[in-house]
Amino acid sequence: MNASFLLFALLNTGFILLVSPLFMSLIKKVKASAQGRKGPGLLQNYLDLRKLMQKEVVYSPNSSGIMRITPYLNLAVLLLASLFVPIVFIPDTHAGIGNIIVFLYLLAIERFFTALCGLDAGSTFGGMGSSRLMSLSAVIEPTMVIAFAALAYVLRTVNLHEMFAITAGSTIPESPTLTLISISLFIIIIVETGRIPVDNPATHLELTMMNEAMILEQSGKNLALIELAHAVKQTILMAVLINILAPWGLATEITFASLSVSCLYFLVKASLLAGLIGLFESSIAKMRLFRLPSFYMMAFFFSALTILLEVFA
Amino acid sequence: MLEAFIYSAIIALIAGVVLPLLCRSKNARKASFGLSFLSSILLLAFAGIILYTGKEPAFPAIGFLPGLDFTLAADKLSAGFILLIAAVTSGVSIYSVEYVEHAKSEARKDLQAALTNLFILAMLMVVLAGNMVGFLVFWEVMSLSSLMLVLHDYTSEENKKAGLFYFIMTSLSTAFLFMGFISLFRLTGSAEFGPLDYPASDLTLSFLCLFTGFGIKAGLVPFHKWLPYAHPAAPSSISALMSGVMLKVAIYGFLRFLLSVSTPELWWGTLILIAGTLSAVLGVIYAVKESDIKRLLAYSSIENIGIIFTGIGLYLIFKLEGVESLALLSLAGACFHAFNHALFKSLLFLGAGSVVHATGTRNIEAFGGLVKRMPQTAALFLIGSVSIAGLPPTSGFVSEMMLFQAYFYSSELPDPLIKVLLIITLSVFALTSALAAALFVKLFGITFLALPRTKCAQGATEVPKPMLFGEAVPAAFCILSGLFSSRILALLGFDLGIPDMLLLGLILVGACGLVWIMVRNSGPSKTRISKETWGCGILAQHPTMEYTSTGFSEPLVVIFKKIYRTEISSTRTYSDTKGSIFKNGTARIHLIKFFEERLYIPVAYAVSLISSQVSRMQNGKLDTYVLYVFIAVLTLMTFTRYFA
Repeated sequence: MNASFLLFALLNTGFILLVSPLFMSLIKKVKASAQGRKGPGLLQNYLDLRKLMQKEVVYSPNSSGIMRITPYLNLAVLLLASLFVPIVFIPDTHAGIGNIIVFLYLLAIERFFTALCGLDAGSTFGGMGSSRLMSLSAVIEPTMVIAFAALAYVLRTVNLHEMFAITAGSTIPESPTLTLISISLFIIIIVETGRIPVDNPATHLELTMMNEAMILEQSGKNLALIELAHAVKQTILMAVLINILAPWGLATEITFASLSVSCLYFLVKASLLAGLIGLFESSIAKMRLFRLPSFYMMAFFFSALTILLEVFA
Repeated sequence: MLEAFIYSAIIALIAGVVLPLLCRSKNARKASFGLSFLSSILLLAFAGIILYTGKEPAFPAIGFLPGLDFTLAADKLSAGFILLIAAVTSGVSIYSVEYVEHAKSEARKDLQAALTNLFILAMLMVVLAGNMVGFLVFWEVMSLSSLMLVLHDYTSEENKKAGLFYFIMTSLSTAFLFMGFISLFRLTGSAEFGPLDYPASDLTLSFLCLFTGFGIKAGLVPFHKWLPYAHPAAPSSISALMSGVMLKVAIYGFLRFLLSVSTPELWWGTLILIAGTLSAVLGVIYAVKESDIKRLLAYSSIENIGIIFTGIGLYLIFKLEGVESLALLSLAGACFHAFNHALFKSLLFLGAGSVVHATGTRNIEAFGGLVKRMPQTAALFLIGSVSIAGLPPTSGFVSEMMLFQAYFYSSELPDPLIKVLLIITLSVFALTSALAAALFVKLFGITFLALPRTKCAQGATEVPKPMLFGEAVPAAFCILSGLFSSRILALLGFDLGIPDMLLLGLILVGACGLVWIMVRNSGPSKTRISKETWGCGILAQHPTMEYTSTGFSEPLVVIFKKIYRTEISSTRTYSDTKGSIFKNGTARIHLIKFFEERLYIPVAYAVSLISSQVSRMQNGKLDTYVLYVFIAVLTLMTFTRYFA
């Protein structure tokens, strides 16, 4: 644990925490414009979080310790995961930080405990959300693993930091096959952050909700933590896609100028991606639950194709 | 010195068998489990020393039959599995002190205590056996002592069926092992487990026989059906031993054979990999649908055995393709997963035993809300669930990660076709691990969270201290061996460059602290307990409105409906000739037990047909039998004349 790593941990995690709610608002704004509405301001999410932070937490009498620790654990896990995805600069790799498999399973921790939360209060909605989330995540998991395996195949490492270091110097994607993976990664972002067509984050209709159903019983500060964790998750998944497909400007050394440039670059690229997600969400309808595996198959197909192209190249 | 550990451990276990049978009192049973706990400590020290120093103890050979000595031997491989046996035994023996007292009669309690010790002793001796003779003798002792434990409640119809099934399968396993060992003996002329420097074509028969024999015992698909019958029938402490240790003894035997072969073939590795992957995914898919807590855990054992075999298959493939570092990584992953599965599965079976004891039923649908009634059991069970679902930084994650890592680096392989095979098995492997997470969210969530669904769950109370301590031992092992995984593996000589879980764990704890401080310093920290869970305006929440186990797994059942193979049959009759006015009819949905109905029953039917034909030759007259013997001798002589 050296000084440069500590600096990285502070800057990277701090930056991610700071900008995450922004992209959430941005997607909402783009969706609103696409529907001809004005939409909330870009700072609305920060205001919401602040408001929730001031409120008291209400627990159901049926709920147990799971309900109480999950919000803290979720955010902590995602802060840990944020160390795996360099956004401001790439540190020297450190004792497995950056390992893509660990990253994948850190996201699984969040999912596991959120799903338990859904069952905790004994409400029918929560159970339904957990059941759907775990079922669909089981089906998306092979896709995620194959997509990450494809990255490892192309870039010959399982460490995200090293992957980014390889792509960082280039102005075009390292390998043409990487463009194929980015389609899979895009679908993974949509699925993992619970967006249309998988889940509808804007409704409280029992037929469409998944993530919202599981956190129905959360309130006050705990809800704020869960929302923040969700935003952080979205940002780091977006960062994986950005740094693989469009790695321009990611700093490799620590100077004030290069750090601010790479932060600025990330803000611009991530805003564009957020806009794209918003447009994608506006242009497609929510799918039936059992139609979703075929949507995932598309992502699976592109990742598998990448590997096959590499194998027979 | 080193030998003294093992001798005293064996003597302690023998005393543990004899004591409860002779003295027949509660104290004798306690002492008996105390002895098995003591022996587990001795074994831990023994295995630890061998693994750390690499020193191999020397045991004298005991004359057994002319030309067949009975020897003991221990090297690093056996030491690893002795460590596993000792770790599980220590937890199970503490747990059993209280658990065994719930048996129906005094005689059964004594017998269960004695047999538990005998079972542990037999498994230990199989691993210690220096040659095939000792291996097979103690293999049979192991099978029979566990059979008697499966049949402990011999009056119940269900248990009788389970016992019979287990008996047939375990005999079949022994038969295959015999064939495999005999063909090895013919080749080498000795019963030792020496190195096998023969071309793979000479070893094909032995490989197939041993793979089948050990595969049956380990519960590999399609030989897995005995597990979901035997595990629920046995007492929970025995299920923990059977699933945690006995299946691993089979893995040990298979590894012992495989590692001694100097030139295996690629198709061996492919076969093992495919069988492992299939077992893993089918095991977990069947488990998802299960509502009997112990049967669910049994299916999950099939899954984990599949994962271990996947690792062994990968080891062979990488080794033959010349990628030594990945071969080592997969083998270490397979062995470490065997160790981890022993720990978390015994923890879960012991936890299930506590839950079943407290509620009196094995049906998950009848549980609910136990976290309030049995908080310590729930916490320990959660550790087991997190570990088996493979979440960092527990040990269950580390071994799965090692296999994933081996897969991810497989771009180094030269052969494109093998790469394609690995991509396919990798995606199935990923599916398995994700389904396992879903499975244990269901098991933990439905069992422990929300409101109690029935009176049984309502009245449940926390189990006595010894049972909790017994569960705490493997739980502690799960966490510690996860956190220190990279250090332990480095200490054992495996420098694999896997991520340091201790660092991750510390950062995670630090992050939790940070979040807590952040929340504490922002605004008032008021909490309130509401009157009830919000339910869209219902007047009072009722347990029947909660999600059930069946409901939870429904989406997965729909997604994988091709695998569950339901058969829908209907008949209908009409009152008129044109078939428009419906009179009556029947409709039936039948869940096909695929392997049972399409594989076992036809085979069993064929066997019984042949044996009924053979039995007609038996007429009870001496002269007919003399004729048979005469024909047999004649045939044998002709054969040896022309073919040998």
